[in-house]
Amino acid sequence: MPLLKLENVTKRFGGLVAVDKVSLEIQAGELIGIVGPNGSGKTTLFNVINGVYPPEEGKVFFDGKNITRLPAYKRAPLGLGRTFQIPRPFGSASVRENVAIGAMFGTLADKVSVDDSLEIADRYIELVGLEPHKDKEAGTLTPVEKKMMEIARALAMRPKLLLMDEAMAGMNPKDIDDMVKFLKRIKDEENIAIVSMVEHIMRAVAGLAERVMVMNQGAKLIDAKTEEALTDPRVVEVYLGHPTDKSKWRSEVWKEGKDWDE
Amino acid sequence: MIFTLLAGNLTHGLLLGGVYGLATMGLSLIFGVINVVNVGHGQFIMVGAFVTLTMFTTLGLSPVVSIPVALILGMALGFFFFYTVMRRLIRAPELTSLLATFAMGILLEEIAKLIFGADFRGYNWGVGRITLPITTIPMSKVYAFIGSIVIALFLYFWFSKTRLGTAIRAVIEDNEGATVCGVNVGWIYALSFAIGIGLTVMSGVLLTMFIPVGINPYMGGGYTLKAFVIAVLGGLTSPYGAFFAGLIFGLIENGAYTLFALIPGVAPFPLTVSLAFWMLFFLLLVKPTGLLGK
Amino acid sequence: MKNTISKYYPLIPVFAAYLIMFIIGFFMPGMWQMVALLAFYCALGQSWNIFMGMTGYVDFGYVTFIALGTYGMSLGISYFSQFEWLGIGILVIGLILALFLASLSALLEAFIALRLRGAYFAIACIGINEGLRYFIEGAKIWGGSEGMIFFGALMQAFGKETVNQLTTFWADFSVFIIAALAAFLNMHYMRSKIGYALTAVREDEDAAKVMGINTTKYKTIAFLTSGLLGAGVGAMAWGLKLGHVYPGDVFVIHYTVECIVVVLLGGAGTLLGPVIGGLIYGLSKYWLAVIMPGFQLLIFAPIIIIIIVAAPEGVVGLLKRRLKGTQLEMFIE
Repeated sequence: MPLLKLENVTKRFGGLVAVDKVSLEIQAGELIGIVGPNGSGKTTLFNVINGVYPPEEGKVFFDGKNITRLPAYKRAPLGLGRTFQIPRPFGSASVRENVAIGAMFGTLADKVSVDDSLEIADRYIELVGLEPHKDKEAGTLTPVEKKMMEIARALAMRPKLLLMDEAMAGMNPKDIDDMVKFLKRIKDEENIAIVSMVEHIMRAVAGLAERVMVMNQGAKLIDAKTEEALTDPRVVEVYLGHPTDKSKWRSEVWKEGKDWDE
Repeated sequence: MIFTLLAGNLTHGLLLGGVYGLATMGLSLIFGVINVVNVGHGQFIMVGAFVTLTMFTTLGLSPVVSIPVALILGMALGFFFFYTVMRRLIRAPELTSLLATFAMGILLEEIAKLIFGADFRGYNWGVGRITLPITTIPMSKVYAFIGSIVIALFLYFWFSKTRLGTAIRAVIEDNEGATVCGVNVGWIYALSFAIGIGLTVMSGVLLTMFIPVGINPYMGGGYTLKAFVIAVLGGLTSPYGAFFAGLIFGLIENGAYTLFALIPGVAPFPLTVSLAFWMLFFLLLVKPTGLLGK
Repeated sequence: MKNTISKYYPLIPVFAAYLIMFIIGFFMPGMWQMVALLAFYCALGQSWNIFMGMTGYVDFGYVTFIALGTYGMSLGISYFSQFEWLGIGILVIGLILALFLASLSALLEAFIALRLRGAYFAIACIGINEGLRYFIEGAKIWGGSEGMIFFGALMQAFGKETVNQLTTFWADFSVFIIAALAAFLNMHYMRSKIGYALTAVREDEDAAKVMGINTTKYKTIAFLTSGLLGAGVGAMAWGLKLGHVYPGDVFVIHYTVECIVVVLLGGAGTLLGPVIGGLIYGLSKYWLAVIMPGFQLLIFAPIIIIIIVAAPEGVVGLLKRRLKGTQLEMFIE
């Protein structure tokens, strides 16, 4: 049984079709990348998966349960964690409190006390390397620290599936490599499936995901093994505007890890 | 008989509704542009009322003269409050601006009390009355209605035909987009706040033309609440929505009063006021963007 | 265990302040009235702060709860004082009615208004307050605009001596109790999941939902608690103490303003704030009423504005910052 299953999910805003009949299956413990240019519907898809708004058509199953109409706050305790494209810390609370909130209302919600949650928080703060900043107000962290804090907060929820929205945007190649290693490690250690959404940074996707779904204009363009997906002419066309020399794309973009922003 | 009465009262309601509409446009404009609900809105109406009263009783000037005076005074107050207080609160949490405008309103009330005392006052602008088959209407009310329409129309053209007006509309539509398009948003904020307050003080003049009694420092609170109902009815960010919602509100208010007066054993006036607030409550429940909103 | 108790240390200065106030009022002749006034403001501030401080929502219609509490007590005394065998039970019934009316309105408001954000919420709350007031007046229920006068009924049920004690001591004393209870509940919420959930709500409500927080539930808990405490203050300090109720006197938004001043002066969202704020406000109001009667608000309105612009953290917020890293830190919240 897949952990997450989307069946022909469609989300419209007025006349605009943001997500167009997308189907997707994710197994427990899998690491998958969702790639697509700006406006291709990735964030909307995330929002449908974790219940910010319901889809107009189609169904969402999680762990065998139909969660299509379930409000967001009921999804987190089932095991759906999320980080945001622009980090959203609870600014006036300390880093420790932020992460503890994750533990308190995640899958362990019924089992942990406030004190337990604070202990769990300490563990994940250490894991992401924010220990020196533990008692700082989260609002005062640097953007990268905020991102790490969000990951710790999401992990403290002990999710089965972690949705990561542009976790590596704005990072330099070394940080990206570190992050990729880190995500692979926690995936194995915590046994969680990770869906990582990436707009441009092919290097990150290539290193990270075993499988990639590419989206374009709300629809699923391709869903395949990473190497296969990223070298598919249709994907190249979406990114470059025209099909080009496959080997050039491969060497320049993918293998060498060139960021298309640059 | 009852229909004549109802028709008569609805006529009064329509005229009053025009003034209500104008009295709410400032609230909507300020909310639309700087996203601040002016909880001290009604107190600026009170300022307009005292301007009219003072000009009439001490200088013997017609309320019509008070209209531009109120606009200028209101805009001055608007700029003053914007640069001393509001400017610092635009990016702050919403509750700070709610509290600040609330305090602003109280400050105006207390200053008015210091200057004029807490008594209820009124004046008599004898400009005759007009008799229709269904009712008799004092000409002052007709002038107030015409004044409101003229000002609202003027504003409409100013918004749609001038550069500055278009810039304000751009900021209402899309704050960040407008910045990109080279609109000086800081100045637009200040100007809109000042115009919003100016309009409100000015509407205080027209309201006293309509109801020339009951002028006192604490008259504003009730108008704040009415303006909320009307603004929500009109979609909260649209000054024109507010104007039309004002017309509707005036009609409902007077129509409901006529009907409530037929029920034995109740006090129709407070019941009408109550109705307005329940209307607001359910409107917020069903359609927070307002009946006339998008 | 020690850990659990030390988490409640910030209650010490709060309770100490209430105790000192009580002792001064009780043993120093002529001071009781002033102390009762201070307790009234502390209790209101503390109760209002539970909702406003924790959620960041401003309930401008808070006075609705105080008013309904007053009505509950008034109804209890008016209708049940004829059963003399009920004894002090009459007041218990009154208090129960007060809490019942307040929870009814709190739940209705929570159901509708708490789905709204910021300004819309504030407007809706004012709407309920005014709608209720004018409905009572218009439909002429509970005496309509003439209100209810039940001082006579009180006299008949308890006799002059007891009534005198009830209105001059026990009514004020129960306000002290409510203030302490409010402080305790506030502290308890701060240290429990409720507090963490509401911090998340205050900072980013949408992110809070995604984190698994049932925002409506936690907002409703704070709203209801705050409302019930307010109703208790109304029942005791207005209903029982005054022996009458008029809609025009109790549904007055100015009392909400007083809550705002008290809480902002002291520090929104802090535990000690409403106490400090209540003392500063109560004392200066008392003093201003002597030196320039009728113009207290002329002084306080600009003060609110100045606090909002210059020191939004209030006195306790500033104090907390000062004491950060010192031994005293754990006593201030």
